[in-house]
Amino acid sequence: MEPIVVAKNLTKSYTKGLRALDNVSLTVDQGKVLVVMGPSGSGKSTLIRTFNGLETFDKGELNILGIKVDSTHDERKVQRIRRKVGMVFQQFNLFPHLSILENITLAPIHVQKRRQTEAEEYGMYLLSQMGIDSHAKKYPNQLSGGEQQRVAIARALALRPELLLFDEPTSALDPERINEVLDAIRRLAEQGMTMVVVTHEIGFAKDVSDQVLFMDSGKVIETSPPNIFFSNARHERSRKFLNQLDNQ
Amino acid sequence: MKINKKSVLQLGVCIIFFGGLGILINNLTINLIRTGLGFNFTWLFKPASFALAEHPLPYTSSDSYAWAIFIGWLNSLKVIVSSLILATFLGTLIGLARTGKNFLLGIISAGYITVVRQTPLLLQLMFWYFVGFLSLNDNMFIQIKNIFNISNEGIEFSGLTFSSEFLALFLGLSVFTSAYIAEVIRGGILSVSGGQWEAFRSLGLSEREGITRIIIPQALPAIIPGLTSQYLNLAKNSTLAIAVGYSDIYAINDTIINQTGRAIECFIILLISFLLLNLVITNTMEIMNKLTLKSKKYG
Amino acid sequence: MVKLCSKIDMNYIIFLLRKLRKALFSNVFNTVITLLIILFISLACFQTFEWLIFKANWKVVSSNIPLYAFGSFPSNEQWRPATWIISILSLSMLTLCGPEWKWLRKNLLIAWVGTIPLGLYLLYGGFGLSPVMSRHWGGLTLTILLTACSSLLSLPFGIVLALFRQSSLPLVYRLSSIYIDIMRAVPLISVLFFGQLLIPLFLPAGIEIDRVWRAILAFTLFVSAYIAEDIRGGLQSIPKTQIEAANSLGLNQYQIIRFILIPQALRIALPALTNQSIGLFQNTSLMAILGLVELLGVGRSILANPEFIGQYIEVYVWLACVYWMVCTIMAVLARHIEKRMTINQSNF
Repeated sequence: MEPIVVAKNLTKSYTKGLRALDNVSLTVDQGKVLVVMGPSGSGKSTLIRTFNGLETFDKGELNILGIKVDSTHDERKVQRIRRKVGMVFQQFNLFPHLSILENITLAPIHVQKRRQTEAEEYGMYLLSQMGIDSHAKKYPNQLSGGEQQRVAIARALALRPELLLFDEPTSALDPERINEVLDAIRRLAEQGMTMVVVTHEIGFAKDVSDQVLFMDSGKVIETSPPNIFFSNARHERSRKFLNQLDNQ
Repeated sequence: MKINKKSVLQLGVCIIFFGGLGILINNLTINLIRTGLGFNFTWLFKPASFALAEHPLPYTSSDSYAWAIFIGWLNSLKVIVSSLILATFLGTLIGLARTGKNFLLGIISAGYITVVRQTPLLLQLMFWYFVGFLSLNDNMFIQIKNIFNISNEGIEFSGLTFSSEFLALFLGLSVFTSAYIAEVIRGGILSVSGGQWEAFRSLGLSEREGITRIIIPQALPAIIPGLTSQYLNLAKNSTLAIAVGYSDIYAINDTIINQTGRAIECFIILLISFLLLNLVITNTMEIMNKLTLKSKKYG
Repeated sequence: MVKLCSKIDMNYIIFLLRKLRKALFSNVFNTVITLLIILFISLACFQTFEWLIFKANWKVVSSNIPLYAFGSFPSNEQWRPATWIISILSLSMLTLCGPEWKWLRKNLLIAWVGTIPLGLYLLYGGFGLSPVMSRHWGGLTLTILLTACSSLLSLPFGIVLALFRQSSLPLVYRLSSIYIDIMRAVPLISVLFFGQLLIPLFLPAGIEIDRVWRAILAFTLFVSAYIAEDIRGGLQSIPKTQIEAANSLGLNQYQIIRFILIPQALRIALPALTNQSIGLFQNTSLMAILGLVELLGVGRSILANPEFIGQYIEVYVWLACVYWMVCTIMAVLARHIEKRMTINQSNF
């Protein structure tokens, strides 16, 4: 079976010398969860943003769900990818002028051209899955951070994506709100959703991931299964990073 | 104790203010008596005995001053409303070009904005009038089967004629105001956070759909107050009509003062005209604001 | 070494070119627009340069330079306004790229304010210089003088109006509100026109103010209303805790206003205030249709001269360049001062 994500030698430089991505290659298979870890500024966010074309790259090749893109960043291909890939942001990025349900049905109605009633029905189903269907008529800023992030997950799911990207989904949340979001992501993993998650949550990474990818200054330092990475990381730099996280 | 101090302070300000005002008014009455003018509005109903080149309603020089002033009002409204529409249209286009992804369009619109904003409006109006229209020869520039004529007399378009005075003022005001509106639009768009752009893109919405459904609705609350003040400026700037010989409300008052010397009365008429005009513009924009906020129950 | 550098540079250039290509030709629509614009620009450039070099007759500008600069100032005394303009220019240069000596930076503000009495002395004469009547003033000199005097006078007046409008005394608040709202509602040209016309009527017989000062007074009355609103914006954005802190230190009402509120409000309002000043500079051109021969007025009088009749484009393009230049210099100075202000509170 063909992998969902194949990246080959992705390279992106911002200005002279400084590299955001340096020869990054990776594969994500159907139904697997890849967790990306690394210190801030290591290029994790840049990496997963290239997967749905929010970031471009200068060299290399990317194959997402069978659609190949290279550094020319063909807009039509990117648009096709975006319809099959959902993304959840650190800052939620809900649309403040639309209600919760409107946030979720916007893309199904205008991108997939679904009927409004159908889109709303499916939206309500997703909200109930996230446990927030009672808030459907409210506006984003009436909700807590954890609730907003669960709406954002529902919004990403509304297009029935084959791949979900999470960019530090819990970093902007209050500590007591983190688990409700992590639980929602865990359930998605159990249902067999293919996901790439950037996160600093070790416990979560341990039980949800199939592979852990560790990055530093744009390079992939190592890719290991979680039981090896967290107990006996192969690389000195990974161990140092894990130690620092533990000490916090 | 504190209240006492306050009232003493107020009394002081009062005495200084009204004392000063009293002296000024005293001087004024002495001067008015000396020149034999006095202060009244009965002259409004005497025949104006000056001709107006442009009048949307019938007017002859035997009509009263009051009627002439009303015609001036209509002329002002005509140029303000038409420039307001063109300026908004141009300004939005340039503002979007300035924020857009096309590098060249961005540079050109930035250039347009600095050139227009860093030269005086009066100079621009004279340029439009003397260079744009008066230097054209009779009916020689563009002529399409008598349907569309441009000449130094203005533009004639299937029976409708626009004088070159009106056109110079209309184009000059529109171009000048559009540069300011472009900056307002740009500011409004930049006030929407970058995450919103990423969010609509990640959902597969096209740029045009994203801008109209996500960015513009959120930018409007920031745009409308800026737009209001630009519209008010446009209305005030329309009084530069006098420089190109268009008979707006100010130009007509100017003529009346030169004829009758009724400066104080004319100033009061102008003041009331502009207070009314400001009221109309601010209230219309307030209604617009409410309409856009209607969908914005967040906040 | 040289080779290495050039290789890195080459890579960088290729990187930039790629970025440019992406910005310009990323899809069909963008490509078409870009090509159309390039066509349009090259046509416009060609036409403009052809006109500038071959068709335009610049004699109308070159033979009248002293007129544009000084108006009808007596020709053997023109070194006086020239000295003034040069001193302002050199002060601008000093402010922008002068040395960082502390005493210099501290005294720059005083030097800037000092240019106004210096200018008035040089223009009016007296004390060893032969006196010149204000009706001989003109050109860029007069434009700058109008801008400088009105800006300086309207600042304190604007501050007072802003404080009054923030006052808790109902009468003071009302009066200043009415004044500000009326001034902001009427067009500038009417204020200037009635300033010329009415100011003599409000003065007792025997006292007269010349046209230049009537104009400055009218500009001041008008601009101070706008400045007052800008400063009020600044005052409102100062957090309440500042006043509480000042109160807790035992400062009295006057001291709070003088040392806490006004410095902060001015700093916040600075960009708006410099914009007012640039706007004022452009608006002095209105005096051209109200009987003063400032820069635009000189242009008009030259165009009325039979020798140069009909050369509108040359004169207007030239004037536009001069206005644009001065505005740009003012804007650069303003940005410089704003930057300085964020690092250092009081020095330029």
